[in-house]
Amino acid sequence: MGVDVLPVSNAGYLIAAYVVTAVILVGYAVVLWRRYKRANRE
Amino acid sequence: MPDTVAARRIASRGLVLIALGLVALAGIYLLALGFTPVERFQGLPQKIFYVHVPAAWCALLAFSLTGIASGLYLWLRDPRLDRFAESTASVGLMFSIIMLTTGPLWGKPVWGTWWEWDARLTFTLILFFLFLGYRALRTALVDPEERARFSAVVGILGLVLVPFVHLTVYLFRTVHPQPIVLKPSEPSLPWDMLRTLLASLAVFTVLLIGFVMTRYGLGNGEDRGNRDNREKGDGNGR
Repeated sequence: MGVDVLPVSNAGYLIAAYVVTAVILVGYAVVLWRRYKRANRE
Repeated sequence: MPDTVAARRIASRGLVLIALGLVALAGIYLLALGFTPVERFQGLPQKIFYVHVPAAWCALLAFSLTGIASGLYLWLRDPRLDRFAESTASVGLMFSIIMLTTGPLWGKPVWGTWWEWDARLTFTLILFFLFLGYRALRTALVDPEERARFSAVVGILGLVLVPFVHLTVYLFRTVHPQPIVLKPSEPSLPWDMLRTLLASLAVFTVLLIGFVMTRYGLGNGEDRGNRDNREKGDGNGR
């Protein structure tokens, strides 16, 4: 099965949802990573 | 000291799982956008399903674990259970935020509205606020034993609400779709879509485990560090 040719209508909602999800997950990972680094320094 | 080392090890393994999960998430995006068919009636917004449902699954699983750990804490009084409950509640809140933002982004093009005060959406919001209250309660209480005991009661209340949230689509008339995978009969999805959903559920679950392990490890280390600091302070004062 190849790549579908997607209709562009309402694509903004999909892009927004995927971006929001990635930003929240990566943001939380970065917060925890910084806390881990700080805890290791102390 | 060995406790701190063990906690750091749990946190570092959690971070590795998070990193793997985030790389796999990029693969899920590729799979969902490029190799999963577009639903005939909803079009592209239906693909929000592949992040919304796994986020909801992780949030409800995390809150269930909070409730179970809280109940066990009240029985066994082991502070590790309280720390685990706190970790799962925080991670559950993070997944709830994803669920509560991707849901309206899916609802607007499909239902024509960002939000509908129907049973599923309203009870999900109540569950979110309940665990927000759980976090606020933990911040407000200073005594660790008191904090653990009071927050455990709130955690158990959250656990009671979780199955109710799942069953709202059966108990009330709602605009929210009924479960298509977590139901007694076979999943009502074509294989191409089910495959992507199952892969996404697996990746989100790995992320959930990674986040909980990291938070648990860091929390334990911080508890130990605070205790050590207090003991050092007492020693200096003598």
